[in-house]
Order: sequence, then C-alpha cells, then structure tokens
Amino acid sequence: MKNINDELLNKYLDEELNPEEMDEVKAAIKNSVELKKKYEALLTADNLLKSIGTDIVPSDFSKKIINKIRNKKLLAQQQKYFLFTVLSFFGLLVLGITGYVFYEIISSVQVNESSEVITTYSKTVGDYFSSLFGKKNLSILGSVLSFIMLASGYFLYEYQKHSKKNFSH
Amino acid sequence: MKNLTDVEIIESIKKGNTADYSILIDRYKNKSFSMLKRMLKNDFDAEEVLMDCFLKVYNNLSSFKYESKFGTWFYRIVYNTALTKLSSVKRKIENEMSSVDDLLHLKSDYNADVLVNEDISEIIKKVVNQLPPKNAAIITMFYLEEMSTEEISQVLEISVANVKVILYRSRNLLKDIIEKKNLLQGII
Repeated sequence: MKNINDELLNKYLDEELNPEEMDEVKAAIKNSVELKKKYEALLTADNLLKSIGTDIVPSDFSKKIINKIRNKKLLAQQQKYFLFTVLSFFGLLVLGITGYVFYEIISSVQVNESSEVITTYSKTVGDYFSSLFGKKNLSILGSVLSFIMLASGYFLYEYQKHSKKNFSH
Repeated sequence: MKNLTDVEIIESIKKGNTADYSILIDRYKNKSFSMLKRMLKNDFDAEEVLMDCFLKVYNNLSSFKYESKFGTWFYRIVYNTALTKLSSVKRKIENEMSSVDDLLHLKSDYNADVLVNEDISEIIKKVVNQLPPKNAAIITMFYLEEMSTEEISQVLEISVANVKVILYRSRNLLKDIIEKKNLLQGII
C-alpha cells in the first residue's frame, strides 16, 4: 500500500482519485486509527469552511453604484452640451463679424456696377481686413478675444469643479 | 427579472437599461465583499475597492466578449484590483506561490490556551481571516462561490496544480489546528 499523505487525503476528500485509489485510501482510513483521526480533522475543516458564511455589504450599496453611474452619464452629457454652447457662441460671433463686414462693404458700393464691382468688392474687402487686422486694431481684437477666452475658461473650470463635486456626492 | 442569466442582464445593460446593473451587483456583491475583506483585512478598504470594481466592470462591459463566464471575468477584476490596492499601501504580496512559513506562523499563533477555551468554528474563522491574500481568495472562491479549481486558475491566472497546492495547504493548516485541539481536549 502506498503512503497516504495529506495531499492524497485532500484528493480523496475532493473525489479526485481514480476508483482503485479511492478504495485504497478508504481501506487505509478504516484500518488506521491515526489516519482516521487525520481524515476526520480534514473533513471537519472542510465542513467548517463550507459553513463560513458571507459578509454583507451595506444595504444601500447597489443604489450608491447606480447613482454614481447615472451622475457620471449626466456629467458627460452636460459637458457635451456646454462645449456645444461655447462653440456655437464663437461660431455665431465669427458669423456676426463676417456678416457685419460684408454689410459695410455692400452698403458702401453702388449696386449697378458690373464686373468692376467684383474687383472693387475684393479690393474693399482686402482693404477692410488689412485695416481690421492692422497694427492698431489687431491688438484690440486680440485683447477682446483673449478676454472672451479667459472668461469662458474660468466659467468652464468653475462648471467642471461644481459637476465633479456633485458627482462625488 | 431576478431569474435572468448574467448574459441576459449584460445584454439588457448594453441596450441602455442601467437599472438592470443592480441585479448583477446584488448577485455578486456579498461574496466578492467577503473575498476582498479577507484579502485586504479591512472592511472599509474592501467596500471601497468593491465599489471601484463594479464601476470598472460597468465601464468595460462592452469589452466583455463572453469567452469566459461573467463570474470568472468579474472575479479577475476584483482580484487584480485588490492586489493593486495591496501594493499601493505597500503591503506584502506573495508571488506565484504563497510561502509555507506564512502558514506555519499562523499555526503557531494558536496556543493551547486559545485552542482549549475557544470554539473551533470561531478559531477557523479567525485563521481564514488571517490567511495570505492568495490563499484567502482561493478559499472564498472555492467554498463561497463554489467555483471549480479550473475556474479559479483562470481568475488568478495560475495553473490548476498551483490552485490545488494552495487550497490543500490552507485546508491542511486548519486540519492541523483541529487535530491539535482534539489532542489537547483528549489530554484534558
């Protein structure tokens, strides 16, 4: 008969041995008091482990996670809307400026002039933009845009901070 | 609704029914909490890590390809997140095999006085709570989640033979304590 060690006893307990080995270990346990005590202790350990029980998480655990997921989704949606609003604002601003420029040009030129009109238009547009982005106006335009950017950045930062605070709660 | 399979619930969540995720959470929260509690030895850390795991699982649900059971995939995330937490607090992480010395040290902690006066089920609970992280994870998955050694090996990404070695060592430690207690009671 082979030596019945702890590993073999564990395998016997988990029924992982072949039928002959199972019979061999079974007989050995039956014939040896020491081995029987060992196996009974192992069986007790196994039974105690089976009955060890689960630990319970707080009752609002699932709700907390679902709320976190929902808040995160809401935050992402709000960020998307905010970005869309800011971009739309800048788009409208650029469109407004361009529209105003064209209005100024068209109102300063006679309507019935033909091909010369186009040349005049392009010349006037060129002149207008040259003066608009000239040394004097460029600095004013730059300052205005920087101010708008800074203000938007500040509001975006505050909004993010506020949303993050809400999310963590 | 509660009788739905994991796959059916996942499909429903992927369609946008976020509330259905609570069914999955309810199904796995307590057993995974037990595993984390025994690995991290701290209730607060266990709850925090478990919450992190459930959020991680939700965010990565689209990458779950049904190649393994959801439980196996979920427990792999739980186990790895627990290891990250352990390493972040600079606790000792055992590598491929847990040290035999760790278990011997545990055995010697229980002296004759404790063994004679305390109830064996209480002693076993204490010993299980003191097991090294990998042993604790294997014991929880095997006995609470009733996972096979093959499934556990997939979660821990170690061989089935190694899972069995760790399982047997943990069980033998408890067996030795029970034997010692029986012997002492026989003497008294």
